[in-house]
Amino acid sequence: MLTYIARRILYSIPVLFVSTFLSFMFVSLAGDPRQNLLANPKLSHAHYKALFHTYHLDVSIPVRYWYWLQDVFEHKLGSSLLTSQPIWPDITRAMGHTLQVIGIAEIIAITLGVAVGIFSAVKQYSIFDYLFTTVSFLGYAMPTFWLALLLQILFTDIYLSYNVRIFYTSGLNSGVTSNTWSLDRLQHIALPVATLAIISFAVYSRYMRASMLDVISTDYIRTARAKGLPERLVIMRHVFRNALIPVVTVAALNIGGLLGGAIITETIFSLDGMGYYFIQKLGQLDVYAVMAYLAITSLFIIIFNLIADVVYGYLDPRIRYD
Amino acid sequence: MPEPLLSIRDLVVEFKTDDGIVHAVDGISYDVMPGETLGIVGESGSGKSVSTLALLGLIPQPPGRIVSGTAMFKGRDLLKLKKKEQRAFRGKEVAMVFQDPMTSLNPVLKVGYQLGEAIKTHFPDEKDEAIRARVIELLRLVGVPNPDTRADQYPHEFSGGMRQRAMIAMAIANSPSLLIADEPTTALDVTIQAQVLEVMKTVQTETHAATILITHDLGIVAEMCDRVLVMYGGKIVEAGDVYTIFKAPRHPYTIGLMNSLPKLTEDEEWLEPIPGAPPSLINRPPGCAFHPRCFLSQGRDRCRADVPELRMVGDGHYAACHFSEELVDFKSKFAEAVPA
Ligand SMILES: Nc1ncnc2c1ncn2[C@@H]1O[C@H](COP(=O)(O)OP(=O)(O)OP(=O)(O)O)[C@@H](O)[C@H]1O
Ligand code: SF4
Ligand SMILES: [Mg+2]
Repeated sequence: MLTYIARRILYSIPVLFVSTFLSFMFVSLAGDPRQNLLANPKLSHAHYKALFHTYHLDVSIPVRYWYWLQDVFEHKLGSSLLTSQPIWPDITRAMGHTLQVIGIAEIIAITLGVAVGIFSAVKQYSIFDYLFTTVSFLGYAMPTFWLALLLQILFTDIYLSYNVRIFYTSGLNSGVTSNTWSLDRLQHIALPVATLAIISFAVYSRYMRASMLDVISTDYIRTARAKGLPERLVIMRHVFRNALIPVVTVAALNIGGLLGGAIITETIFSLDGMGYYFIQKLGQLDVYAVMAYLAITSLFIIIFNLIADVVYGYLDPRIRYD
Repeated sequence: MPEPLLSIRDLVVEFKTDDGIVHAVDGISYDVMPGETLGIVGESGSGKSVSTLALLGLIPQPPGRIVSGTAMFKGRDLLKLKKKEQRAFRGKEVAMVFQDPMTSLNPVLKVGYQLGEAIKTHFPDEKDEAIRARVIELLRLVGVPNPDTRADQYPHEFSGGMRQRAMIAMAIANSPSLLIADEPTTALDVTIQAQVLEVMKTVQTETHAATILITHDLGIVAEMCDRVLVMYGGKIVEAGDVYTIFKAPRHPYTIGLMNSLPKLTEDEEWLEPIPGAPPSLINRPPGCAFHPRCFLSQGRDRCRADVPELRMVGDGHYAACHFSEELVDFKSKFAEAVPA
């Protein structure tokens, strides 16, 4: 198992280089950062020639990629071309916020999704099942932006009509800063968490239900019942673990993607997270900030793919790692 | 006459499907005597599995439904038990071996654990070491080599034959008085089939369990069974002891089954399959369900109008055919092979 993980990590390294190189090329081609400098009337021709040189903007893209790589390793992702600010402090702050929001949302979504999936399958066609089937389909069908706006409007209205502040509808803190786990912070992130949790919950509960039903009709469940095992143990011991296998994969890949930032949700709630960061930097065509973001998200996706495979192998002894 | 161990009367099982009601088991009655081996043969879809799954309450409901019938077993009606009482019977008094050993074991649990669970379910106070010792003893009994290491392996590390041995071991774990084996060898290679049948025999002498052996292979019936039921379209069409039936079958369908079986002592030019296809269980043919395929009927109206009752045609020999008497002098091609 350990050698398998080590080998997978080794394989990931070239993947990361290729993916960052490709994104570097596309981002550089998408907008020429030199235009920003040229647009500044205070700079003389000689001046920006010199600037181009210092920032390696006068060389070909592959060579520029090479300089960028050096910067990434020597100066923690380097600094922004536009503001000369180092990227690391900004992006790690955003990362922390995203981790908090996604972490809470996903824990809620997985716990509830798995529990509801189990019950819906065991009590197939019951009122409970129909109710949650409806809820899940709504969660599936609702566009994220619409759900987020709905929640935002609802809680703004509550505030305006009754003058009670249950949840804030934008930002992370009331003051300039706040403690990560303060009540104020939780009131701020409740709505983005709810948005993301509802959408993930819809996916997980549906997956879990379908997967449970698949397993319930297998021969080995009939064997378990033929032993005289109580239905509760049949479900928990025999069905549950087998049913979880595909759900784990879906969840791990989903989380890996979300850690890159829930762009729509974070933007609507002006939440200083990864997705928000990305949208802003992309709008400003801040090449190196965008690149730092893309490199980190690729890394997350690779890591969560690996986690999915490892958990998969843990749950299913038929998977061999050698 | 000794008391039967199991006595089934008028069992009717239906399935509700999109195409209509499937009359899977249509009023069957039979007895199983203590310690005997009863074969059930018949084409695919004739209701062999459903009729036995009903005894353990393993028919998926819905779509299935036990419409009527009784199944008296040790003074209790298995079909009227409460869920909890039913579980107490399953795997303890009545145990089952299923057709496909590749899919009948849980892939994520160790084989030894799955066997031990069969014991622990009925004897919750049993110590883990005692259960493990018993599991190893059972695996040894069914001929699994190195049972100590094998018990800690997962099903995918077992071959098909070994898995079926493990399934048999699981079934006899609590020394049931009735063992139901639903085509235990159909999914296996021929050489492995023979080995698994040997294991079934060993297990029978060891446990003295009565056995219902479902198969569509008359050869297996000849080798293993004392009595045999022939099923067609959800009904029993012939029943009797194995010798009688092999020597002088009295139902055209049974004769058809035998003609489609090779006789190993001679080179046969060809085998005769039964013409036509099994009947639809949704829109059943009127009268005798076998009449569209029957060589004996010759278009006689009675076959198309009246459902033939299962009636006695000899000593302990029953057949459901209006014209069974016309077969009195029929000798099957296996007649000389059957000891007198
Ligand atoms: N869950 C189910 N839903 C609908 N119909 C079913 C179901 N289970 C069995 N049946 C129907 O009941 C009939 C009898 O099936 P059964 O499994 O008893 O046949 P069998 O004699 O055991 O055949 P085989 O030799 O293929 O195992 C079949 O026509 C089958 O289609
Ligand atoms: S009743 Fe008629 S159709 Fe049915 S088996 Fe007898 S002869 Fe054939
Ligand atoms: Mg069957």
